[in-house]
Amino acid sequence: MTDAVVRARGLTKTFGAGETRVDAVANVDLDLAPGEIVLIMGPSGSGKTTLLSMLGGLLRPSAGTIEVDGIDIASLAENDLPRFRARRFGFIFQDFNLLSALSAEENVAVGLNVGGARGRDARERSYDLLRVLGLGKRLSFSPEQLSGGEKQRVAIARAVANDPAVVFADEPTANLDSAHGAETMRLLRQLAKEHDTTVVIVSHDQRLREIADRVLWLEDGRLKAMSALVRDPSCGMLIDPAQARARLHRDGATFYFCSRGCMHEYEEEAA
Amino acid sequence: MSALALPHSVPIARRQLSRRRGTTAAAIVGVAMAILLMLALRAIFAGMEARLTAYIDGTHADVVVAQQGVTTMHMTQSALPRSALAAARATPGVAEADAIIYRAAFLESHAGRRSVVAAVAGGPLPKIVVGRAPRDAEIAIDRGAAEKLGAAVGSSVRIFGTPLTVSGEVEGTAAISGSFAFLSAATLERILHLPSAVSYLLVRGDGSVSPAVLAARLDARIPGATATTRPAFAASERRVVSNMTTGIVRAMTLIALVIGVAVAGLVAYGQALSQLRDYGVLRALGISASRAAALAVSQVAAIVAGGIAIALALLWLMAELLPALSPTLVLAIRRQDLAQAVGFALVVALLAAALPVIRVARLDPATAFRRAK
Repeated sequence: MTDAVVRARGLTKTFGAGETRVDAVANVDLDLAPGEIVLIMGPSGSGKTTLLSMLGGLLRPSAGTIEVDGIDIASLAENDLPRFRARRFGFIFQDFNLLSALSAEENVAVGLNVGGARGRDARERSYDLLRVLGLGKRLSFSPEQLSGGEKQRVAIARAVANDPAVVFADEPTANLDSAHGAETMRLLRQLAKEHDTTVVIVSHDQRLREIADRVLWLEDGRLKAMSALVRDPSCGMLIDPAQARARLHRDGATFYFCSRGCMHEYEEEAA
Repeated sequence: MSALALPHSVPIARRQLSRRRGTTAAAIVGVAMAILLMLALRAIFAGMEARLTAYIDGTHADVVVAQQGVTTMHMTQSALPRSALAAARATPGVAEADAIIYRAAFLESHAGRRSVVAAVAGGPLPKIVVGRAPRDAEIAIDRGAAEKLGAAVGSSVRIFGTPLTVSGEVEGTAAISGSFAFLSAATLERILHLPSAVSYLLVRGDGSVSPAVLAARLDARIPGATATTRPAFAASERRVVSNMTTGIVRAMTLIALVIGVAVAGLVAYGQALSQLRDYGVLRALGISASRAAALAVSQVAAIVAGGIAIALALLWLMAELLPALSPTLVLAIRRQDLAQAVGFALVVALLAAALPVIRVARLDPATAFRRAK
């Protein structure tokens, strides 16, 4: 992919040393295209948030490169990284992470201030964003006066305020009911397709597969394309065929199982 | 560029402080009390010093002559022969010289109330605000002493065991160390049985020479005497108080410093801890570590600035109200003390901000992705 907005190579994050050494993310290669929605799924502790933090320039990798606009942000000076992050990236957090002392409008304006916009420009842009997101009458509300869905919409407004190239979203639907979750999905989809913004989502929420252009599976710090995974016909779990604990050939097809127990269960049911 | 309110930016620090109004107000009051403790103590001692020299300053003498080696009145004895007065008057450059007798004493009312006074006879009298100057067997006392004794013009008071009638009242000489009382020379000589001795000479020059030159001449012409210019004599008097109070002032300043740092520091650290998630989010959004630290500093600075403002307001209020409550308690607010208080507040702010700033500056922006507990 030549027009990748983000190009990560050999991305590795290691915590600890010696016997306590853990490779949270191991040798990941990843290209992100403009306007693409990439969903990264995987079990808890698989390194999803660590990967997201590194791609977003919040965490320095132990090894590897992350090229954005031809700049390797992994080797960017500590003083330059925040400014780069403010202008090129947006973030959406599971807990919304709005600043509780500020109003909805100010929460968006803060993001704009960090990106360099000031005064009336910042206020007008905040107002426009919140109005488009249906929060025109909630501008002066504090976060605690907003519903979960409204908070997430303010968080999305803040994330996109500086027209970032990439928005990183960590479990964006986790704290929302189904209606607000669907609304958030629609907004993320709209963001990617209408504004050509790349959206990287880390989540357990299967519903997000509906809007994803690409679904990746992260397990033990290693990335796999979801299409390469197969479903255990007994328990329904997605597994890597190469690491399946059991396999069964039947009627010209091969079935992969996460455990021998699942395979026996499947055989008993088939019999 | 202040982080409290960047020009045309959202004033994050101010909003955070106003959101926690109770904590912020408590911190400001705590810091104000610490600064006030230091300022008030210094102002009280400065007031004491000023009152201590109120009499000597009011005489308008150029030179004070005392027994050899004596350069103060309080806590001192001085005796000069009467002949010293004639010698002073005969000194070139002297326009006028008065002899005064000075003795520390207790003034006692009929009801048994007592007040420490410096009994002075001879020399210029301060302005009599009620009644008139004392004649034989009479005494003029300070209004503060009169209030303390429950005495008024016409009342009888005892000094050195002798009853005298209060003829008038002066004001502005009452300090914690006592006040001044004025008698005629004949009365005090009779009471003390000291007809041939005086305590000090108050000398005014004719302007032909400086007070320092006049003092040197008097020193040379009067045997067994020390002549000191009035400002130097007053400074020597003030040192009596400052020598006694320096230790107390230092100790109380240290206590105030500890209180100020503890209050501002605990609140600042508490604020920073409770806002770590906010700081993490701001770091993730793209503010630099130094800007995040500046936010924490500006919160402490705002608390300390508020503390200074309240302390100054309370000090002014005390300076206005205390003399009405107690004539002996006067607060003198000096510029150097105010400057020291501001310096003290800066030290408080720096020390209090240190821990939160380190914590915030070292904050990992990736904490924004950690789940809230």
